[in-house]
This record gives sequence, structure tokens and C-alpha cells, in this order.
Amino acid sequence: MKIGALKEIFSGEKRVALTPDSATHLQKLGHECLVEKDAGLAAGFSDAQYIAVGVEISTTAEALTKASDVIVKVRPPSAAEVNRLSSSMTLISFFHPDANEALMELAKSKEASVIAMDMVPRISRAQKMDALSSMANIAGYRAVIEAGNNFGRFFTGQMTAAGKVPPAKVLVVGAGVAGLAAIGTSTSLGAITYAFDVRPEVAEQVESMGAEFVFLDFADEQADGASTGGYAAVSSPEFTAAQLAKFREIAPEMDIVITTALIPNREAPELWTSDMVASMKPGSVIVDLAAEKGGNCKLTVMDERIVTDNGVVIIGYTDFPSRMAAQASTMYASNIRHMIADLTPEKDGVIVHDMEDDVIRGATVVNAGEITFPPPPPKIQAIAAKPKEKAPDKTPEEIRADEIAAFKKQTKNQIMLLAFGAALILLVGSYAPPSFMQHFIVFVLSVFVGFQVIWNVSHSLHTPLMAVTNAISSIIILGALLQIGSTSFLVTLLAAISVFIAGINIFGGFLVTRRMLNMFQKF
Amino acid sequence: MDMGFTFAVYVVSAVLFILSLGGLSGQESAKRAVWYGIAGMALAVSATLLGPGFGLWWLSLVLIAAGGLIGYQLASKVEMTQMPELVAGMHALVGLAAVIVGFNTHFELVNIASMDDTAKKMLEGFSALLAKKSNVEINILRVETTLGIWIGAVTFTGSVIAYSKLAGKVTSIATKLPGGHFLNITAAILSLLSVFWYLNAGELLPMIILTTMALFIGYHLIMGIGGADMPVVVSMLNSYSGWAAAAIGFSLGNDLLIVVGALVGSSGAILSYIMCKAMNRSFVRVILGGFGGISGPQMEIEGEQVAIEAEGVASVLNNADSIIIIPGYGMAVAQAQQSVSELVRKLRAQGKNVRFAIHPVAGRLPGHMNVLLAEARVPYDIVMEMDEINDDFPDTDVAIVIGSNDIVNPAAQDDPNSPIAGMPVLECWKAKHVLVSKRGQGTGYSGIENPLFFKENTRMFYGNAKESLDKLLPLID
Repeated sequence: MKIGALKEIFSGEKRVALTPDSATHLQKLGHECLVEKDAGLAAGFSDAQYIAVGVEISTTAEALTKASDVIVKVRPPSAAEVNRLSSSMTLISFFHPDANEALMELAKSKEASVIAMDMVPRISRAQKMDALSSMANIAGYRAVIEAGNNFGRFFTGQMTAAGKVPPAKVLVVGAGVAGLAAIGTSTSLGAITYAFDVRPEVAEQVESMGAEFVFLDFADEQADGASTGGYAAVSSPEFTAAQLAKFREIAPEMDIVITTALIPNREAPELWTSDMVASMKPGSVIVDLAAEKGGNCKLTVMDERIVTDNGVVIIGYTDFPSRMAAQASTMYASNIRHMIADLTPEKDGVIVHDMEDDVIRGATVVNAGEITFPPPPPKIQAIAAKPKEKAPDKTPEEIRADEIAAFKKQTKNQIMLLAFGAALILLVGSYAPPSFMQHFIVFVLSVFVGFQVIWNVSHSLHTPLMAVTNAISSIIILGALLQIGSTSFLVTLLAAISVFIAGINIFGGFLVTRRMLNMFQKF
Repeated sequence: MDMGFTFAVYVVSAVLFILSLGGLSGQESAKRAVWYGIAGMALAVSATLLGPGFGLWWLSLVLIAAGGLIGYQLASKVEMTQMPELVAGMHALVGLAAVIVGFNTHFELVNIASMDDTAKKMLEGFSALLAKKSNVEINILRVETTLGIWIGAVTFTGSVIAYSKLAGKVTSIATKLPGGHFLNITAAILSLLSVFWYLNAGELLPMIILTTMALFIGYHLIMGIGGADMPVVVSMLNSYSGWAAAAIGFSLGNDLLIVVGALVGSSGAILSYIMCKAMNRSFVRVILGGFGGISGPQMEIEGEQVAIEAEGVASVLNNADSIIIIPGYGMAVAQAQQSVSELVRKLRAQGKNVRFAIHPVAGRLPGHMNVLLAEARVPYDIVMEMDEINDDFPDTDVAIVIGSNDIVNPAAQDDPNSPIAGMPVLECWKAKHVLVSKRGQGTGYSGIENPLFFKENTRMFYGNAKESLDKLLPLID
């Protein structure tokens, strides 16, 4: 199949859906690749680089669309772009099917197929093609960089000859992919980072990235994020109030606030109110990653950088991934490549649109002239397993009671064993002659000594232990030696054989033990 | 020299043997402990040679020296990976010696029975001891002798089979003759009957039947046990060889043999117990072979095995601060311990915290991995036991699994229907990344699917462990 990448026409969009690197991977799957002239230029990929790996260059979008079977791009297509599709063609791009019903209808009338990269279900297997996550990751990173660009101080605290520099304090609201990326970037720049999320189960992830989770004094447990496909759900009014109170309390200390809170298919919740902005220090920076959906701060102006009256910078850019076009293109192209790889199961350049596959089914919004949106719920459930029900912690009294019970049981067992053993020995003793009993006592005592001594042997020395017990069990040589002086020739011969065998064992066993032990060395 | 002096020497050697085993509680004291053992053995043998009623001491010395030469050759040539075979082979020797000594006792008995009283008075040493016995004592002696022979014979064939399985000369899959354990039971009953026959008749024939039966039981029992259970088998045979020596000690009336036999026997028994506990299986189940009952369908495994190349492994390792390596039998098979050691040296040189986690049943012999790592000059203070290190996995960046499978199988904890449910395992999946070096996608010795390989944080590094590591080494900077 021929896979063609269109040049983005949305103003300011610098990303491209095909890179020379991803093209070579696609070629290995048996596909041919085309790219529109200068499509990758803004992201730093020149046409020459594409040509070098065997990608064909088309001068116009029309020619490219005509020559390709699969069209890949980044932004949702324009009506004109969809119009050019014909039957049996597939378009792979972001699509936002909720908001673009007219486009879906148009694609349907063209009998084309559309795979929406933003509809890839969030299951483990599909992570490699989850473009939303990879773009969110970039946005989170870039948000910190933008904030740093607008923030007049160091992130990290320093003691210099010129005086002390306090570290910046960064608050990240919403610990999704973007939030976690922002936390990681911010902590690695040296800032003291705090993070908040309505899903308490992400506290562990936040702490693993080196930030401090801001806990609320709020009793009710929030809905588990796993039940909503890993996204946050709408909070109760009481919870929201508690959350805002906490933010109000910490707002004056924060130098940089990065808000990333989004709820699927809703306007962004207001988390950072005007009075919190007013209480912040001049020179502080707010980066609102939710600007496209109205912003987590109501003062945010989409796609603009504004400065409030008290000198707080609010950044409402929505094109963070595009601002890192090279990185974003590489990752997006790689997501696309994985998607196409899943569509080419035989690696023979033939696209098989398998609607039984959960991932492909979920992402397909139009399939050969038929609207298949919204998809049914995926067969495999969610990313996180249900939390296991924890056994309630035992009280000290219960633990104590358990210990006593265990001790009693142990005592009982020991007494039983001793009584049984004693009875057995008494039984033997009442029949056996004294000469046997003498040896028997020695035997029983040795078994006891053996048990006591061997329990202390360290695990790592079990092999040497076996070798050394092996060597000393050839003490059986004594028996053979006692018999070798017999008057019977047969006995002497057999005894001689066994002396010889035991001799092998004595020397072999001790030597090999020594060899092993000499190898154990302290660092 | 008179008997009293010999006994005194026996006491000294018994104490030395106990110290020798006790000294194995630590790596440093263990080096001294071997010398205690050697001294004990030397004292015991020389006291017997010099003791009363001993003849042919020159022949004995020559034989010991000849045997010693062979033993020396064996011990200095053996590869550390072949240690399980060597140990199993040496158990066979002890078992054989016990059988021979037992038969000799029988011959002496017959010999003496045919003598008249004046001839009996002329006897010396062991024969003199026998001649003095009353009828009841002779019957007890016969029981002891048959017991010694029986255990010795089981040990002998069992160890030979264990040796062949470990050396790969016999298939390591559990195989039984048609009839299974019924055959073993029949053989055991026949042995018991021949004991009674022998007690009444005192003839050679029941002895031979008994021995044949015991030889068969040893063969058939061990053939029916799979390769993965070899640690238990080897330590069990270790125990048997001790009990055989003790039984012979009874029949010869020699306390030193009894003491040492009991020490070795209990040592082997404890080792078997530890191994069984580490696999969460009862001793009887291991001996009867095969895995325990499966109570329901096993959990379905979701996800896919994601492969990784040497470059990827190198970059993960270069970025990690704390690393735990979990070696298994696969490392021994591939002879990869030197490469592992080299990898550890390189990683440690970068200031990374590298440690080893050893599961009690890793390998084919108790403590097998420790010996291999020691051979490759891995310092023993970074080699940890399961209980010491299991809680550290959540704080670990990378866990590297080299040639182990069941001991890192999360199904043991998660899936109550798994054949290994409840077996303690190394919780390596709690580390941030898990790298698994494995030959291919197949299941391990036990044939159980391992969900670890399908986890999101697991990457499979396919290929022979040694070749994979050698490819990896130059990439670590």
C-alpha cells in the first residue's frame, strides 16, 4: 500500500505525521511512502532527508491524495481534505469525532475509512499508538520550559558567593500524562514540586516522580479512575470546595502553577480562581494546559500570554506539541507507524482492517462508508486492575493473641513429639538388649546434635555442606577397615573394594569442598 | 594399642566432625571447618589402622592412596556447574560401600557360625566381637545389617540415576514404568518379607533378593522425579547415605559410624525440608513425583511478550541506579556466570548498587547458584537470600532475570489454581523494569506459563544467556 503524509494546513502547525525514520519502518512492513513537498520542513525534516530513505515527494496535496491508499496527518482534516478522499482510502489522523460530525458524514459519503488517533482505547496493548499520551507528555515538558522562560529566577536553590537563591516552588494540578511529565521536568530542574490530583491513587506515581502530593482533608473516597478508563471524573461540590480551600491556602507560596485538569467531553473545571491569582507574588507564572477547553483559570486567554495587574504571567498556549515540532513529529509518526503495523498483521504491505481487534475497532470512526462511532466498550477492561480488598489490619491485642496461640500450638506439638518419641524408645528398650541400647542412645543424641548444628548453616553454603557431609559419610571406611583383616578371602576382597571406594570419596569430598570455599570471597 | 585408646580417638574425631558442620554457618569460619573435618577423618582412620586386631594395614594404605588419587583428580577437574552431578555420584559410592560392608558382615557371621569354640577364641578384632554375641544380639545384628544394605542399595541406584539425570545422560523428565508406585510398594513388601526370611534362615539368598529389590526401588523412585525437583532428591540421597552409614555402624557396634551417620542423615533431612518448604510442596509429593493437584483452570494471561535488543538493555542498565540480578539454572546451563560477573563488575564500577537475589531452589542443588557466583568471583556480600531482598524490589530500578522461570512466577501469588500456588517467589515484577534473559518463548522445566513475561514493565532479552551478555558487555559504559 502507498502511505502518503499531507502537509499540515492549520496555521502555526509545524508537526508532520511521517518522519524519515518512521518511513523506513513502514517500508519494512511492505509499504511505500509518499510525502507532500515541504511537509516536514517546519519540524526540521527536509525533503532531501525523505528522498534519502526512498520516500517519494508529491508537489501538491491533490496529487498526493490521488497516489496514496492511506493518508496520514496530524490535525483533524479540513472539509477540502476529506472531499479529496475516495472509496477504499483510509485516513489516519486526530479527528475529534464528537465535534466533527459533519466531517464524518462527508467521509461516509465518500465511502472512505477514518481512523482517529484520539480514539485509540487506553489499554496496555495500545500504549505504543496512544498519540494523546505522547502529545500530552510533550505538552507537560514544554509547559515547564515555557514557565521557566517567563519566570525570572532559577528553578533550583543555590548558595552562591553572590548570595542565596531560594528554589522555585512549582504546583502541578492534575497528574495525568502531561502532569506527570511536567512534574518530572520540574523536579529535574531542581524546583520544589507539589502536585495535586482528584484521584488519590496517583499519589504514588506523583511521589515516584519526586514531587510531593498535596492531600486534602476530605473523608469521602473519590471514584476510582480505573472505572472511567483512567481519566478523572467530575468531583462532588463538597470535594471541590475542600480542594479550592487547599489551593487558596498554598497559592501565595507558589512561583509556578501548571494546570492540566481536563475531564473528557466537558469544559475544563475552574481550579485556579481569580482571587488565587491575585494572592500570588508578582513575577509568578501560570501555565494553563486546559486553555483549549476554557482553561482551569478563568483569566486564561486561549493562545495568548497575558500579564495580570499584579504581575502574574498567564500562558494559555494550546500548541505546545507543535512548539517542539521535531520531538512531537518523531513521537506522533512513531504512534502512526505502530498503528499501521497493527493494520498490517502479515507484514506484507496489505492493510487488513480487522474490526474484531479492540484497538482498531475503537479508533475507527468511519469504516468503508459506514459511521462506526461511538465504539462499543472495549472487551479488555481498563488499564488498572481493581484494588484488592485489603484485610483489615490487626490490632495489637489480636496480634498478641495470635502469637500466644501459635506458641501454645508449638508447645503442644513439641510435647506430642517428645511423648511419642519417648514411648517409642521405651518400647525398643523393653525388648532390645543393653548392648544395643548403648548404641541407640548415641544415635539419638547425634541426630539431635545434627539438627541443632545444621539449622545454623547459611543458605549460601548448602552446596559445600553437602560436599563435606558426603566426605565424612565415607567414615564407612572404618567398617571396611575392620573387616579387611578377616580370615575369609571373600570378605577381605569385598572390604578392599569398599576401602578403595571410600578412599575416593574422602579425598574427593574434602578437596572439592575446599575448592568451593576458597572461591567465596568478600568484596 | 588397646581398645580404650581407639575409643578416645573416636570421641575426638566425633567432636571434630560436629565442629566441621557447625563451622559452615559463615563463609570465613567454613574455611577452618573443612580442616576440622579432614583432621577428624585422618584421626579416625589412623586410630582404626593402629587399633587392636588389625591386619593388612599396608594393603589398606595402598588402597586408600589409590582411591585418594582418583578422588583428587575428580575434585580438581570438576567444573562448578557440574557440582550437582559430582555430589550425586559420590553419594552412590557411599551407598555402594555400605552395601558391601553389610554383605561382609553377613559372610563373617556365616563364617563364625561354622567355627567351634576353640577357633572362636583365636579370633581378633571385628570377628571376635561377632563371636561373643548372644542369639538375640545376632538377630538384632541381622536386622541392622539388612537395614544398612537396603538403605545403601537404594542410595546407590538412586544416586546413579540422579547423576545421570543431572549429567543429561538420562532424560530429566519424570518417567515411570507401567504400574508406577504399585511396583515400588510391591518391591518394598518383598524386601520386608526377605528380612523375615533372612532372620529365620540366615542364608545368602534372601539377602540378594532384598538387595535387588532395594536397587530397583532406588532406580524407579528417582526416575519418576522430574529435573526441577533435583535439589530435593540430591539432599534426600545425602540423608540416606548418612542413615546407611549409621545402620552399618549399629551392625558393627562402632559408635563413630553411628555418630557421623546420624549427623549426615539429619543434615540431609534438614536440607530436604528447606528445599520442600521453598517450593511449598510436601516431601511426600516431591518423592511421589509430578506436581500436586490442579484445582481449576489457570488464569488467562493477557498482554504480549515484548522483546528487547542488547542496545535497549544497555540503555536501561546505564540509566539505572539499583539493580538486582536473579540467576537460575539457565545461567548454569549457558555457563554465563563469568559474563554475569563481568557485567556486575562494570556496573559496580559506575557506582550502581548491584545485588543478587538467590531463591532457595534456584539451580539443581541446594546453594548451587552461590557456588557458581563464587567461582566467577562475585563477592558474597552482595549475594542475598530471598527473605533478605524480597522487600527491596519496589525500590529497585531494574531486575534482571537470567535463566530462571518458576522462582519468579507471579502466578504463585496471584492464581490460586496455579500448580505452584503458594510457593514463595522473588517478587521481581515490583521493580520498575524487569529484563528477562531467556532462550525462547517456551515455558520452563515445570511447563507452567509465566505471567511475568507478559507484564508491562517486562522486556524479553531472547537468546543464550552467555551470548546475550557478551553482546551486552561492550555496550555498558
